[in-house]
Amino acid sequence: MSVRFENVSFRYPGSTAGVFDIDLEIATGELLAVIGPSGSGKSTLLKLLAGFAVPDAGRILVDGRDVTDLEPHERALGVVFQSYALFPHMSLWRNVAYPLKVRGTPKAERRQRALDALARVGLAEFAERAPTSLSGGQQQRVALARALVFSPRALLLDEPLSALDAALRHGMRDEILRVQRGAGIATLHVTHDQEEALSMGDRVAVMHAGRLIQVAAPRELYDRPASRTVAAFVGHANLWDGEVRAPGRVVTRLGELACDTAGFEPGGRTCVLVRPEQVVPLAELPGAARPNVFYGRISEDRFLGAVRRCDLEVGSGLVRIETNIRTAIAAVSIPPEAIRLLPPDPTALHTGSLS
Amino acid sequence: MLATILYLLFLLAPIALLALGSVGETWTNTLLPSGFTGRWYAEVAADPSFQRAFLTSLKVVAATCILDMLIAVPLAYAIHASARRGVQAAARVVTLLPVATPELVLGFGFILVFSSDWLPWLGSIWLLIAAHVVVTLPYLLNILLSDMGHLRLDELERVAATLGAPFSSRFLDIVLPLIRHSLLAGLITVSAISIGEFQISNLIAGFLSRTYPITLLQAFYGATGFACAATIVLLVLAVLASAGGALTARAARG
Repeated sequence: MSVRFENVSFRYPGSTAGVFDIDLEIATGELLAVIGPSGSGKSTLLKLLAGFAVPDAGRILVDGRDVTDLEPHERALGVVFQSYALFPHMSLWRNVAYPLKVRGTPKAERRQRALDALARVGLAEFAERAPTSLSGGQQQRVALARALVFSPRALLLDEPLSALDAALRHGMRDEILRVQRGAGIATLHVTHDQEEALSMGDRVAVMHAGRLIQVAAPRELYDRPASRTVAAFVGHANLWDGEVRAPGRVVTRLGELACDTAGFEPGGRTCVLVRPEQVVPLAELPGAARPNVFYGRISEDRFLGAVRRCDLEVGSGLVRIETNIRTAIAAVSIPPEAIRLLPPDPTALHTGSLS
Repeated sequence: MLATILYLLFLLAPIALLALGSVGETWTNTLLPSGFTGRWYAEVAADPSFQRAFLTSLKVVAATCILDMLIAVPLAYAIHASARRGVQAAARVVTLLPVATPELVLGFGFILVFSSDWLPWLGSIWLLIAAHVVVTLPYLLNILLSDMGHLRLDELERVAATLGAPFSSRFLDIVLPLIRHSLLAGLITVSAISIGEFQISNLIAGFLSRTYPITLLQAFYGATGFACAATIVLLVLAVLASAGGALTARAARG
């Protein structure tokens, strides 16, 4: 029940878009979330696995079997689409029983299995209803039941929650996870919602311009992003270009920062990452000068309920702060252990800017 | 309200007069005919050229509907499922061309091509049917295409594929059941157009393969009552075809 992409490349005819050199494995029972900006190729990945596009190079294995040249209907993969795509002319149980019907299961048995599958998503009493009489969340649950009823080799989720209300989305995350864990199959979950990816994925793959730029567990991805692009895309981030002045000292637009510079040579360029929630806001400037303390002026102050997001102007730099204190903020302290150095942004090398 | 009544009157008056004329004994230089008779209908029914034309029209309509269906369903499906927007747009333009072209031009085209030594088929009923297919196909195609777009048929079909359905199952279980309403609605339109079609039929029909409307024209050189009766027959034929289509559509829906 595992899925493997081996050096898969695919380019859309007549364009430069596509996916390139994809090497990826999803283990049995694992949920791999794929995120990336639109056009990054994450949906293409799903199309290739489902069989709606054929790779130009490389191969795709499901359970160790090469499926690269198989038609979509021969792959036995359960796919849940963004638009639910329930068949409007069939009742719910017939929708769910359809994969069994095309496999020649006798009617009595497929009805029973469809009813069981509907019961697992809590919709047994709606079996005879038409899809259009259901809410979006209910339709999505039926689509999930339908995609799993024939014990597919893998589950593919194509932005399954993006058509739902925000309030419904959180409940559906848990629901999908529960059903996926119950089925215990490899799952590829494509989404543009990074919060969804971090909360649901066993691992998260970040795509950019058709390439996988990092595949890691959610916490690792957030705490130790491999590059500036990943750091900027996953969660909120302070990212400052800087230069390693000496071991343990980095100079940025804010001034000098004390931090661990292991792995970076003095004189080399770097990119400094600090997550806004790890910046410590201070109501007033401490009496004695302390390292990594900067004072400035609040330029933006957004109250979001549980958190407050402010921007502090420090010289020509900007510090993004996420906090729950409500008093005025005059300065910030950046704990050295909150600072993470990333490889320098290649574009910054050309402009030479220290933003 | 008054406008509606006037409009309905305007719409129905010719039909009412035709109906009246078809049962009137004589109708010359008076506002309304005088006397009552059923002999005009009897004469139309007994007229061999009208009998032949009636049968020809039925054959042409039936053949046109069947051919249209066989061509339009796969064609519309292919256009709809085509991934490229450009292909879709081009296909739409090409299929709509016969609507934009005056039928007279189409008719002359048929005459030019099919009176040549290589293709000497002018006057055959099959050429007539072909012409009717050309004229009616775009209407059916358009109805099917808009319905397929509305249903998002391509997406439903992709889902069915992932669920394990091969092409034949997808076509029979998903595509056909979903488009049956628009297919029937389209076939009603096709029948109505085919029954009343005059311009091309008049140009290319042979002496023995005239459709009803062409023969009808001849009737107006004779007795008024006869002409009225013959026209009413055409009207009833058209209404029956539409009603038949509508009833089939309702039966299919139930």
